[in-house]
Order: sequence, then structure tokens, then C-alpha cells
Amino acid sequence: MLRLLSNLRLFQPVSLHNHQTVRWARKPRKPRWMPTAKSKMFKIPERIKYPEEENKEVLRLFNNYRTAMKSIKQYLTNRYNVQLQAKSDTEQLKKAFEEDFARCSSINDKWNEQIRKEREVRIAKELQEEIEFSKNRKAEVLRQRAEELEQAEEIVRKEKQAVASLITPEQLDEVIERAINNPVDYNFAIDLDGNRIYGRETMSADAVKAKQ
Amino acid sequence: MPYKYIGRKTDFKGKTLWEIVGNLKNFGVGRVVVRSMMERYPEPSYFRILKVEPLQCPQVQSVDNLRKVRVLVEKTFRGMTFPKPVTIERASYKTDYRLLSKDEEEEYCKKVLPKEVQVYPNTMDFPPLLQEYIIREKKTKGEDTDVELKLDIVYNKNHNSNSVRIAKDGEIPTVTFDINMRKLPSISLYKNVKM
Repeated sequence: MLRLLSNLRLFQPVSLHNHQTVRWARKPRKPRWMPTAKSKMFKIPERIKYPEEENKEVLRLFNNYRTAMKSIKQYLTNRYNVQLQAKSDTEQLKKAFEEDFARCSSINDKWNEQIRKEREVRIAKELQEEIEFSKNRKAEVLRQRAEELEQAEEIVRKEKQAVASLITPEQLDEVIERAINNPVDYNFAIDLDGNRIYGRETMSADAVKAKQ
Repeated sequence: MPYKYIGRKTDFKGKTLWEIVGNLKNFGVGRVVVRSMMERYPEPSYFRILKVEPLQCPQVQSVDNLRKVRVLVEKTFRGMTFPKPVTIERASYKTDYRLLSKDEEEEYCKKVLPKEVQVYPNTMDFPPLLQEYIIREKKTKGEDTDVELKLDIVYNKNHNSNSVRIAKDGEIPTVTFDINMRKLPSISLYKNVKM
């Protein structure tokens, strides 16, 4: 059949028309990737004008050729296509289809059953994990709250201790008096070992701190 | 220095739409413009201008988009007027438009008679070799070979034309579709060809 198709030539009067498109067929020519030759750079080729009659005839022939080829292809497909041939026995086809469908359906049901079991196990496991996670989270939150409370109480305790050394308005004069009487000298000297020796004229800061 | 243009010749002939419309009173609403590309057909094709809008200056400017304009037209193509108005914007930069003078309009826009409907055949002959092959196949199967063999023609179903249709039952087609070219068309091309 293939040989027949390849031998099949619809009548095309090649010699009857004057123009024939030839693409990349001439042998001694420059390769396609070469740029336009310098001498041809500014050459403007004349636009070819074909006679209207010829154009029409070529178009008609080509249209006819394509239609004929399409029709023949369709004919041969309808005539020799295996799938199209088998369609004649509809009863058998229907039966075969139903058998195939039942087989596929049973396989599908089996898969569904298997997946259902897996899904149940997975969901139970996930639920357990969720419960565990929630429990841990609750314990963690309680622990954090207790810690925060502890920290707050620590702060309060420290503040209470600090209250004792605060300067009250009644003490103010006394404290100022003390500060004036004990000026602090932050100047220091450094000996060869790098020790700082505070105080030049007045009491050193250390001494003040110690006194306070 | 005069410009010397280098390159292929163009098929366009005329001005851009803005060049025409911008020079006219009321931007040429009511006037008729034709494209030279459409003058290749025997039936008249033309645009009657309904409304003209200028366009915003484009952000990326080029030779093409600077010359555009938006024009609403009543389009007639090959003697058939479109039921809805058509906007010309993308093609408005093409230097292919021509303004018809007012006295030219009536003559140019004359209505044309609808084209004669061509009736195409449903079947055609088989190619000779294939026909021979089918006959032989039938003979080997012992089928009747006296029935005239006809090939059903497959047409392009998407073709949407009012002037072409496929023959109904018993109708004689106006277009012959002879695959075996028993008779050549009577045109000067085939003047000296003998079959």
C-alpha cells in the first residue's frame, strides 16, 4: 500500500507554468550563514510580477491538489485503518468494554480499600501526635508563666531592699552636706606595672565608695 | 543633503492615517479613506470615518508608535459593510492610506452585486492507479465491480464564505473538479498544449 501511495502522483502540469519557487537549491552558492556580499549590499531586487492569469491558474491547481490529497488520505484511512475496521462489531466491542471496565473497577476498589486502611492508621497516628504536642505545649506555657512570676517577684524583692537606701526629702540636706564634705577625685596616676593610683588632691573614688 | 533610502521596495502607497486626518476639518469625520493594499480586489473596500481620537505620547517612542491615531470607522471590505464599527489603531501608522475626494466618493463606494455562488461537487474520480487497485481488490474479493467508483471530497469545513458552498443531493455543481485533467481550462497559458 505504501508503495502504491508513493507512486501516486496527481497530475500536475509542471511545465505549463513559468515560475517555480526554488529555495536553496543552486549548488555553487555561498553558505546561508555568510553575510550579504558587499557588492550586493545595496542591490534592490526588482519585484517580480506574474501574469494574473497564471497566478490564478497556479492557485487553482494547488488548491485542487491539496483537496484531492486530503480526500484520498481520508479514503485510505477509512478503508484501511484497523481501529475503524474493528468498530463494525459493536456488541463485541461493548462486551469487551464492559469487561475491561469491570476489571479496572475491581482494581480501583482494591486500591481504594488499601488506601482507606492506610488513611485510618495515618489519621489515628496524627491525632495521637497532635494530643501529645498539645500536652507538651500546655506544660511549657505553664512553666514559662511560673518563671515569669518568679522573675517579677525577684524584681520586687530587689526593689524593696533598695528602698532602704533611697534618699528621702528629710535626708536631702544631710546627704548634700556629706557630698560637699567629701569631694571625689577621679584623677589617677599609673605606675610601671600599670596599676592605677587614684586621688591627687582629694579623696579617691574608692575611698568614697568604701566610706559610703 | 537629500535622503537616499536603501532597502526593499514596499507595497504600501500613501500616507499614514494621522497625516490625512490631522489636516482635515473636524478630523475628517464623515470622509472616506481607502487602503491601497485593499485595492487589489475587484470589489470596493473603504473606511468611512466616524470618530477620531489622538493617543497619549508613548513612553517608549519609536518611529512606528509615534505616528499612530485611534480612528473609529465604518469598514467595507470587498463590497461587504461590517455591521459594527471598527477601530483602526495598530495599523494607523502604515503609510498606506489615501483620502478620497468628495466628488470621488459616490463613484468609488458604489454598491456591488453579490457574487455568484459557486457550487462545489461532493465527489470526484479516483486517481487512475488507485482506481485500478481498488477494482482489482474488489475482483479478488468477488465484489461487484460495475458500480462507478467515486471519491468523497474532503473540504475545509472552517471556510466561511457566502459565495462558496457544497452541492446538495442531485444538484449540478458549477465548479468542475477534474483530478485527471481530461480537459484543460481555456486560458492563454494552455493555448499550445495538446492533450
